Amino acid sequence: MTRVNLFLLLSVVLSALYLVQVQYDSRRLFTELDRAQAEQRRLQQDSERLLVEKRAQATPARVEKIAHEKLQMRQAGPSITTYVNYTEPSTASAQP
Amino acid sequence: MSRSVQYTSSPLLASPTPVWRSKFLVGVIALSFCGLAARAAYIQVFANDFFQRQGEVRFSRTIELPANRGRILDRNGLILASSVPAPSIWAIPDDVDTTADKDKLQQLARLLEMPLAELTRKLDEDRTFVWLRRQVDADVAARVAALDIKGIYQRKEYKRQYPEGEAAAQVVGFTNVEDRGQEGIELMFNQQLVGRPGLRHVIKDRLGRAVEDIGEVIPPVDGRDIQLSIDSKVQFFAYQKLREAVIGNRAQAGSVVVLDALSGEVLALANYPSYTPDRRQNLTGAQLRNRALTDTFEPGSVMKPFTIGLALETGVVKPSTVIDTAPGSWSLTGATIHDAHPHGALTVEQVIQVSSNVGTAKIAMQMPASAMWEAFSQAGFGQKPQVEFPGVVSGRLRPASRWRPIEQATASYGYGLSASLFQMVRSYTVFSHDGQIIPATLLKSSQPAVGVNVFSPRTAGQIRKMLQMAAGPGGTGPKAQTQGYSVGGKSGTAYKQVGKGYGTDGNRKYRSWFVGMAPIDQPRIIVGVMLDEPSAGKYFGGDVAAPVFSETVQQTLRMLNVQPDMAVHPNIVAAAEEESF
Repeated sequence: MTRVNLFLLLSVVLSALYLVQVQYDSRRLFTELDRAQAEQRRLQQDSERLLVEKRAQATPARVEKIAHEKLQMRQAGPSITTYVNYTEPSTASAQP
Repeated sequence: MSRSVQYTSSPLLASPTPVWRSKFLVGVIALSFCGLAARAAYIQVFANDFFQRQGEVRFSRTIELPANRGRILDRNGLILASSVPAPSIWAIPDDVDTTADKDKLQQLARLLEMPLAELTRKLDEDRTFVWLRRQVDADVAARVAALDIKGIYQRKEYKRQYPEGEAAAQVVGFTNVEDRGQEGIELMFNQQLVGRPGLRHVIKDRLGRAVEDIGEVIPPVDGRDIQLSIDSKVQFFAYQKLREAVIGNRAQAGSVVVLDALSGEVLALANYPSYTPDRRQNLTGAQLRNRALTDTFEPGSVMKPFTIGLALETGVVKPSTVIDTAPGSWSLTGATIHDAHPHGALTVEQVIQVSSNVGTAKIAMQMPASAMWEAFSQAGFGQKPQVEFPGVVSGRLRPASRWRPIEQATASYGYGLSASLFQMVRSYTVFSHDGQIIPATLLKSSQPAVGVNVFSPRTAGQIRKMLQMAAGPGGTGPKAQTQGYSVGGKSGTAYKQVGKGYGTDGNRKYRSWFVGMAPIDQPRIIVGVMLDEPSAGKYFGGDVAAPVFSETVQQTLRMLNVQPDMAVHPNIVAAAEEESF
């Protein structure tokens, strides 16, 4: 009887210690997860910011300016365009 | 039973202890245990809530999860407005050591683009809290953080970025420092754009790290993206041409609207003067207003096609009916109507082509006023356009029962009623869409527009032909011609009201319009241009507004991949050479 009691006592102590360990681990992992999520949010915002910056670099105003001033390009018009007759079935409505 | 307890045998040491004393002590100890038990019961049962709360205050935190404001996109998914993180720099002046950190403060002032004197002045304003600069760029914030000055902190905030700048400023609008919409689409769709912030309760450890979630986490709901019907390329181009025309003609202001004639979507809506949404210091109302939607004026000759359309529809005249407009003026109940140039006998087609007030008025007087009123209001005049924008106006169209004969005559060529440029452009869908007026929208739509019949397809076709003549040689707006695309449209030049009248000769103010469509047989776009008070000598709509129309149509149709419907003399030098393999 005493042996059984001792065994039970030991297992209670061990499982209690194990519980402490698990609790500690879970908190540590939770902190890591939390940090990773914060990082994800930050990166998402960064990507959004860079997207906007990229867009700001490619606005029609800037493209026009550079094409005109740096590259000496000019507007295309019908007189310098060759039109090829090809009608896509799906965009038929867009054709005159 | 003895009266006392004998602890020793020595009588010297014998101290007679009364029995009640030990009993008393036992009682006292028992009582204190009772007290402890009562206290424990009180803490764990009765005042449990209080203590739980106190505990939570010490280690649990409620964190708000911010929701991102939705983006505003153009029809091709390009960003017109988006929120990016822009931290605000603040300080606790008491904690800032202005002598030891002088070098660092110098650098900080440079980063925040303010003189050191201003920075120190700000630090003197308050002892506990002061904003140094709100919403700085992310990389500036990172460099400020790297300086690591004591007492300087950052707060996470968001700033709206508008890559398209001034070209689309009035349409998109802007938000305030709290990221709330103040103008334009930002204001109109604020509800959908803002989203709902989420909440989570966490337990924090002594280092401030979250170690456990308690209860449910309410996830943040990001704001919806709003996709407009605006095409940013068309928008930019239209804005650019408008700006050149306004500056070139020394006009007060101008607007241009490009409408998709098939779907009723607004492809471009630009106004000048405009502003840069990121720099809004010294803004004036003139820059801020979306004139195309919020300003009304007397449309002038642009109304004539509706009068003629109604006459054709009701069979009062045929396109070939001859109207005598000599000698260029017509007296009606004491008032006289004038033409800009006298014309003789004109067919109905020519009345539109040369824009004869007399001819239009003579045709109008053969019809009942109520029929004219009805046609005008069906075409959207005096009605508020159903468009998703704050501050849209309805214009003015007085009830026909109160029209005097002279008023009916002037209304037939666009005086005595008012409309916005947007209303005018939308009303022209009657002619482009086979007699049906279609609703216009600023949002991208995938469904074809459903219209309401105003005229028959036959009448619409006849008017289109007249509009083509008006924009052709011998018409009032030949400068509207484009290369490769057939166009049709009506120019308008209206006197601006100056005080009570329309000013006197030499002292008049004008408003010049051109509204038209292309390609004329199967219109794809409708373009309206308005210039306010052109004062560089030219003021006829056909001279100042038509060139903007022409260039806008040319570029827009090219961008929409519409093939030219007229023969173009090709300018391409193509040397056909055999390809070698």
